[in-house]
Amino acid sequence: MNVKNTSKKLISLICLFAGLILFIESLIMDFSGSTNSFRGAMLVAGMLLILAGMFTFPSLKHHRTMVNIVFLFPLLFTFAITVIIPLILGIGYSFTDWNGIKYTEVVGLDNYIKMFKQPSFIWSILITFLFVIFNMILVNLVAFLLALLCTTKIKGLGFFRASYFLPNLIGGIVLGYIWQFIFSNVVTKFTASLFNQNYSILSDTHTAFIAIVIVYVWQYAGYIMLIYITGLNTVPRDVLEASAIDGANATETLFHIKMPMIASTFTICTFLTLTSAFKQFDVNLALTNGTGSVDGFLGAENYLTNGTEMLALNIYSTAVNKNNYALAEAKAVLFFIILACVSIIQVRISNKREVEM
Amino acid sequence: MKKKVLSVLLASAMVCSLAACGSSTTETTTETTPETTTEEKTDSTSTETQTAETTTSDATASYEAIRLLNGKPEIDSQLQELAAKYLEETGNTVTVETIGGDTNASDELKNMYQADNMPDIFVIEANQAANWTGMLADLTGEQWTEDTDFELTDDTMGVIGFPYTVEATALAYNADVLEQAGIDPSTLTSPDAYKTAFETLDSMKDELGLTAVLGWCAEPANLGWSSGTHVFGQYLDAGLALDDTTYIDLLNDGGQIDTDRMTHFAEFIGMMNQYSDPDLLIDGTYDEQVAGFAAGKYAFVTQGNWINATVTASSDYTGFAMGFAPYAFEDGIDTIIAGPPSYWTVYGDGNVDAAKAFLQWVSEDSAQDILVNKAGLISPFNDCAYAAADPFYDSIKSYMDAGKTSGWHTMLKKDGLQNETCQVFADYAKGTIADADTFTSTIAKVIKAYYAE
Amino acid sequence: MNRKPKTSTLVIQTIIAIIIALYVLFPFFLVLINSFKSTEAITKDPIGLTGMSFSQFSTNMTDVINNTHFLFWSAFGSSAIITVLSLVLLAVFGGMAAWVICRNHTVWSQVIYFIFIASMIIPFQVVMLPLISTFRDVGKFVGIQMLQSIPGLVFAYCGFGGAMTVFILTGFIKGIPYELEEAAGIDGCPPEEIFFRIIFPLLKPVITTVTILNGMWIWNDYLLPSMMLGQNGRVKTLPVAVQAFVGSYVKQWNLILAAALLAIIPMIIVFLIGQKQIVQGMVDGAIK
Repeated sequence: MNVKNTSKKLISLICLFAGLILFIESLIMDFSGSTNSFRGAMLVAGMLLILAGMFTFPSLKHHRTMVNIVFLFPLLFTFAITVIIPLILGIGYSFTDWNGIKYTEVVGLDNYIKMFKQPSFIWSILITFLFVIFNMILVNLVAFLLALLCTTKIKGLGFFRASYFLPNLIGGIVLGYIWQFIFSNVVTKFTASLFNQNYSILSDTHTAFIAIVIVYVWQYAGYIMLIYITGLNTVPRDVLEASAIDGANATETLFHIKMPMIASTFTICTFLTLTSAFKQFDVNLALTNGTGSVDGFLGAENYLTNGTEMLALNIYSTAVNKNNYALAEAKAVLFFIILACVSIIQVRISNKREVEM
Repeated sequence: MKKKVLSVLLASAMVCSLAACGSSTTETTTETTPETTTEEKTDSTSTETQTAETTTSDATASYEAIRLLNGKPEIDSQLQELAAKYLEETGNTVTVETIGGDTNASDELKNMYQADNMPDIFVIEANQAANWTGMLADLTGEQWTEDTDFELTDDTMGVIGFPYTVEATALAYNADVLEQAGIDPSTLTSPDAYKTAFETLDSMKDELGLTAVLGWCAEPANLGWSSGTHVFGQYLDAGLALDDTTYIDLLNDGGQIDTDRMTHFAEFIGMMNQYSDPDLLIDGTYDEQVAGFAAGKYAFVTQGNWINATVTASSDYTGFAMGFAPYAFEDGIDTIIAGPPSYWTVYGDGNVDAAKAFLQWVSEDSAQDILVNKAGLISPFNDCAYAAADPFYDSIKSYMDAGKTSGWHTMLKKDGLQNETCQVFADYAKGTIADADTFTSTIAKVIKAYYAE
Repeated sequence: MNRKPKTSTLVIQTIIAIIIALYVLFPFFLVLINSFKSTEAITKDPIGLTGMSFSQFSTNMTDVINNTHFLFWSAFGSSAIITVLSLVLLAVFGGMAAWVICRNHTVWSQVIYFIFIASMIIPFQVVMLPLISTFRDVGKFVGIQMLQSIPGLVFAYCGFGGAMTVFILTGFIKGIPYELEEAAGIDGCPPEEIFFRIIFPLLKPVITTVTILNGMWIWNDYLLPSMMLGQNGRVKTLPVAVQAFVGSYVKQWNLILAAALLAIIPMIIVFLIGQKQIVQGMVDGAIK
């Protein structure tokens, strides 16, 4: 036991020592501007050795603490570098003239004022809200009806559930191109004969918006349906039987028993569709890339060319295509605030319901 | 096709001012600061050494692999062939990457820059040089600069652009169809002449085998470069002398337009909308447009000579002759736009030496063979041994010889303007914009707003 | 006295279900049949079966697979490596972190947990721009390439996926009786062994859930890899490769749809194999 402890101690100290040397050495190289290519590997090796040293550190009393630190470190470290630091920097950058690489001066609220003076941005906010509302209603309605259908006694339920869910497996970029093909090559053939409109519905702002909604419902309803099915299955059988004995018909059972009992599922699904519709990006990019014209929005002198560009895409194109990183970051901060409000409302509502129950 | 650049005249004007009036330029700088003189001296010496190096390096030196970002999808396979040839002859590797079908190469480059993923050589249009201030390598003194009049020169960065092709755009026509219909393309120099010609062709559609008189496509998402840059460029340059910058200057001065000229232009576009294939007009694609022209379905098409390889390679192509007619939206307009539409530039932090060696090699015989004979490009180099295989070449040459070419000044408009204006063309095509006057007032406010941003 | 639905009702319901299934699956059907056609055949008849041929299919596939902008196998390989590595690391690190957070009732563990939960609200857009510059600077500073590299992307996924993983795992670990660990502790079992020998195996069902949720997200994600890798970079994931492929061509639908087919197939195969777990995992993830 003693020998084991001593050897452990030795390993621990060696690891700690070697790790620190490597770590400090590579940091010195970093600061001195060395371009030595293995300094990165040294840094990683040093950090791993330090962690290993702490892990094998002998004293039993400290061991628990050491394990805690070592266990938390990897995730916290990646989390800090990818989320926390960029978030703080990003909020800071939104008050400067940042160009994606460096900033020269702090401009205060200029970016925030500027974005609200852009009719194209206001338009993006507006259609994003419209899109969110349309989707919240349509996705939930369709998904709930599908769930009802999938909890009946028809044969092949497994197949139907799987096929309704299938679109959700495919990434938005691929989906977007598939649907672009359908709208411009297949749907056009029908609109040409029915409405004498021989161009793709993606070419017109209004119909293109509807197209995005259609694709989104197609993609998302299957997923929400699964959650409703789970909710419907939790309705106790004896309650349903009792209502049947009382002579309730199917519609009454649905409205008076099933729906109130899965109210919490409705909340979950509503917010799930809400937040995901807000963040919609891939399909928007692949399907229309934001094109579409709007004449005379907020004044006759305005002619917008981003008719189907939603918030997430607007932020992206402001930064990447228009090179205005600081403005994009300010828009992103607003986007963040909107989503944070939505989430807080969601938590409030769910908590309230739990209390009531 | 996509990236259309600067006017011949502008480029040559710059070259002239550097060459002929070179002394005066130097004098001005010399007067400002004594240091500049020294710098220039060192510059020129180093330039000479570089030239020497480059010339010798061709045969012997080996470089690390470099990447070239191409913006013309239609010559992608020929550039791959070029890279293979380069590897075979020098043992050096060039990887050709192509962007430009649906994605805008200029936007993608910004993305690549952010991701630390810059190619060593990439394509730019003249007005995009400002985005890269201080980041492009100075190619002054490279041997090829002496064999061309078309290089792109920047005030601060020196010679930055390698011209890889000369392109022309106007209304491309199917000469056989026009001949059958008894229309002499050389008479198409006024709106009235066009009106008569379009009417004649329209009435003879069946016997000529035409689907429509014109293959013009105002689809904004994928073909915005065509309407927003090329066709719009006709408003800026059609009928003007090569170095006439009247309308581009007006435009770049806060986004002003000449209302009369724009209205005439709009009337002409309205006529094009009327006679274009309705299936193509609003949501067609480049492929459909070019394929339709190649199959003889359209008498005219609104593209430039870059379509030649696709047309002649098409299985439906019957071997008809083709040429260019001017966008005569005002009486007497008789010029076409010709010059290098875009340039290859060398990224300053990239592998500059390897890139320079490659560009020098491209200006030489074996590379020109591929570019001219296989890719169907028109060589910007005076000593190029190959007559262009381009079926449009004779027509372009006749305009050039007669001095009836206008500049690619549309490449000097504010970067990204085409993404806005192309929507106006699309709305006009759809009928949402009802007439020429509305078109003019709409485009005026779009441009104004974009310049104000 | 279970109500027996009338046969007529069942028939109507089945018909409706079939019609909807046809509508939902129709786009997949179109992708499949049009991968067998040439561009001209597609333009002529996009929904019919005319013009399909196996030789055209193999031409399309070879064209797409070998296309310098798509490079299917390399993109598929990168996507697979990135997804698998991220999932393994997220499961292990997430489990470790969740366990520590759950079993320590200190202020610190509460704060860390709260930060994780709160960060789930943050939309990607607000961090993506500074993320790229942070990664560029950090990478240049320490001499490890963070952009344009698979390790960099895996690192980012660990950071972005961490919060949700910890959230779901913590909920589960709370339900594991603490007595189990106490007993092992009295027997002299060190904490790391308690975790890896006792707790981690118990986490299997919830780790499946987390892996499915993260896996669907990482495999299909476009924005993060496109920002970090750039288009036509050295490394491409499948969605980035599809976008690069479409961007480098003038609308050749036969090739685009063939590329889409290639991008869809792996996901469908995985779904067919693990259908039950995937459906369960998606539902569990949402309800928690």
